[in-house]
Amino acid sequence: MAFIQIQNLYKKFGHIVAVNRVSLDIEKGEIVTLLGPSGCGKTTTLRCIAGLEKPDEGDVIIDGKPMFSQGFVPPSQRGIGMVFQNYAVWPHLRVFDNVAYGLKIQKVPKQEIKQRVTEVLESVGLAGLERRYPGQLSGGQQQRVALARALVRNPKVLLLDEPLSNLDAKLRERMRFEIKSLVKRMNMTSVYVTHDQAEAMVISDRIAIMKAGNLVQVGTPEEIYKKPANRFVADFIGTTNFIPGEVSQIDKDRQLVSLQAEFGKILCRVFDSAMVSPNQKVHASIRPEEIEVYISPPKDKENLFKGTIMHRAYLGNFLYLFVNVDHTLIRIQAPYDIKQKEGEELFLFLNPEKCIVLL
Amino acid sequence: MSRGNLFISIILWAVLLLFVIYPLSFLIIESLKIAGTNQYGLQNYIDFFKDPYYLKTFWNTLLLGILVLITTTLFGLPLAYILARYRLKGKLIFTALILLPIVLPAYAGAFALIVLFGKMGTVNLLLMDWGVISKPINFIFGLHGLVFIQALHLLPFIVLSLSAGFTDIDPSLEEAAEVEGAGGFRRFLTVTLPLCSPNYLAGAVIVFLWPFTDWLTPLIFGVQDLLPSTAYINIAYHFTDMHRKYMGIVSVVISSLICVGIFLASKSWVERKKYTALSKGTTLEGRIIQPNPWIKLSSYFYMFLIGVLVLLIPVVLGLSAFSRRWVLQPFPTFWTLDNFKLIFLETPLLLKNSFLFSLIALIFGVVFGLPAAYLITRTKVPGKDTLDFIITLMLAFPGIAVGVSYLLAFWEGIPLATHWIIMPLSLFVRRLPYFLRMAHASYLQLDISLEEASEVSGASKLRTFFNISLPLLLKGIFVGLVMFFIMAFQEISTAIFLYRGGWETLPIGIYLNWHRGMEFGIAGAMAFLMIVIIFILLLIVARIGGGILGAAWGSSGGRY
Repeated sequence: MAFIQIQNLYKKFGHIVAVNRVSLDIEKGEIVTLLGPSGCGKTTTLRCIAGLEKPDEGDVIIDGKPMFSQGFVPPSQRGIGMVFQNYAVWPHLRVFDNVAYGLKIQKVPKQEIKQRVTEVLESVGLAGLERRYPGQLSGGQQQRVALARALVRNPKVLLLDEPLSNLDAKLRERMRFEIKSLVKRMNMTSVYVTHDQAEAMVISDRIAIMKAGNLVQVGTPEEIYKKPANRFVADFIGTTNFIPGEVSQIDKDRQLVSLQAEFGKILCRVFDSAMVSPNQKVHASIRPEEIEVYISPPKDKENLFKGTIMHRAYLGNFLYLFVNVDHTLIRIQAPYDIKQKEGEELFLFLNPEKCIVLL
Repeated sequence: MSRGNLFISIILWAVLLLFVIYPLSFLIIESLKIAGTNQYGLQNYIDFFKDPYYLKTFWNTLLLGILVLITTTLFGLPLAYILARYRLKGKLIFTALILLPIVLPAYAGAFALIVLFGKMGTVNLLLMDWGVISKPINFIFGLHGLVFIQALHLLPFIVLSLSAGFTDIDPSLEEAAEVEGAGGFRRFLTVTLPLCSPNYLAGAVIVFLWPFTDWLTPLIFGVQDLLPSTAYINIAYHFTDMHRKYMGIVSVVISSLICVGIFLASKSWVERKKYTALSKGTTLEGRIIQPNPWIKLSSYFYMFLIGVLVLLIPVVLGLSAFSRRWVLQPFPTFWTLDNFKLIFLETPLLLKNSFLFSLIALIFGVVFGLPAAYLITRTKVPGKDTLDFIITLMLAFPGIAVGVSYLLAFWEGIPLATHWIIMPLSLFVRRLPYFLRMAHASYLQLDISLEEASEVSGASKLRTFFNISLPLLLKGIFVGLVMFFIMAFQEISTAIFLYRGGWETLPIGIYLNWHRGMEFGIAGAMAFLMIVIIFILLLIVARIGGGILGAAWGSSGGRY
């Protein structure tokens, strides 16, 4: 049985459905990220797990114990640690007292409190700052205090609500790895909320993508990137080209679909051939880095199209091109040694293995 | 730094020097004079602290301050929590209602309480009629009555500052405590309350210092062993007795020093502990809870009780205003408009003076306040921080200090006190910070890039001010104007020292009618009239300035 079971969670604010019957199982020791644009219900879901929000329907079961259906378990009784988006480090308490707060409530002996706080501060890199007030710390340091406070009680569940969104880009990137290794080392079951897809990719064992209160797809970062469930996911995770077209042929054995696009016939992969039918209007999706570029057309290749370079940007390790293929603009991440300039022609190979059909 | 800014700065400094520093220095010099000689020394202060009577006034004032603070805190804390945290209907109206005492002068409230709770007041007469008591109970004359009326008058300061504190706390700070395992009461004690302490202190200082500045209410309640009241009596009635006069002046100086000292100490403490400014991404609404039926019911009951107390004052004053000789009867028996006839027909001078002086003071206030606000927020003129500091200090300065020092400074040398202009002038100085801080706050909210965009487009600084800044500041300025006017209109502690025959204002009229004795009807009618005028002004502010809350809180650093 999963360690955290979110069952059919439903929450309305006024007339707006914030969370629409979301169910999700999270295994012990797993880091699951709730990812989605703002207003998708990810924070509300997290706050329901914490007990800071009460769902209208559904339940959250932590370690076999229902949190709502058999009497409301208040946040203070759930044994969770939480890192808030704005850190919520108490400004009137010193770093030490911030971290020790929960331990004091648990009536842990003084000596042990001291030892545990010192240890956890060391592990987040704040050793020696115990006597400081939060106002004397940088944003990054305050963030670490919040993390230390959440970790010090060895909670069963760690909840992180966009913990890095207030940090600058460089620090954010480093903290992703730090948080991940720290949480993994303590083997804590964690739910992480973010709207930053790169952050989600780095930190998660699995990603749950949400949109407008609905759970859209759950999977490992690789699954989500390579097999997006729909256009929303493909667009939200990374960048991609959508080429509209009509299904002309379906090859169920090889899981291939032939698509009539504006500029010609494209052969695409389909993960579930049952979801398409002939003459259906669908989209082919291919990522910019998956498109192969040729200066002269190679022989015997299907899915080969001629296009004109509209924009060309040099980004160091690669080129970013916008290529016009018969009035359809296609983004391409091309090798940096391609010399062609704007207005010149190229041949694009849309590998049928990489080009996928999405509704 | 432009020459224009320097020029403005010099003029503002000149005004400040002439009308604030010059007279106040007189006060200090006078307090150091040794009676009967031409020498200066600390003799007066030594005498003051050696004399058991004056020492007693000193401790009494301190005691009164502490009692008023405790009372307002005990009653204000639950009220502030209810207003800030519970989702209740009618909260807005109630908030407006409990603000009433701030703008109602405390001395006007004192009359109402005498009518109601005095020895021959309504409550005593009713109790005696019913045979519950045989002799009247002394409800209000003395320290306890004084604590009651001052606490009622000052309650809004505590409620407003605390509820602003409760609202301003980032909800996640309390949620974090909840997640960490802290239950309701523990969370309140360890997180909520400490985080509110700067807000509380800001209100508490005003409350605590009030007894050091209010001399009239104690006198009405028959208490005179307090610093400001003793000072008033000594200076106003015993100016020929050199010793008593000097003791009075020393009382004024000591009151002023305490006020300024505590004000500065609390200000620096609050600035060091700006908790609410630290957290990011606070929600506007704060943490609002849907109360359960029991809490809801008791909240409404509590609000109702306070509401009744607050409304007592205008209602009783209204009743006495429309009745003749409401004495020795529990309720008025004879209704009449005579009192108002007297005010409007026989002494319209009072009204005319009140409006005229307040208006002129207001003009002074704007002409001084706008450039000062501009200088303080938008320029780097040297000395502007000192300018700001001195003006802010005036918030804490007792009115009696301004009155006495004007009396001392503007008789000889610069004989301004012989001309009626001294009245609006002293009102202006007394309420100097009110308009300025409102304009100042509006200026801080005005994004400087809006002005810069105008200058980049080719407009001069002056043109930018009139075309861009002024229209955008207008709302804040207007609220500042009306608040200034209200405060000037009800001012008495300064004016009482300076008025001469023909310069009486409405508050002075109230005082004189009470002082002559048994003219309660007229005094009550005047007080009622003043309340009505002030209330109308306040309604205008509330309509234009957004919430009435921000309006009445005005300059003292609330949320707008």
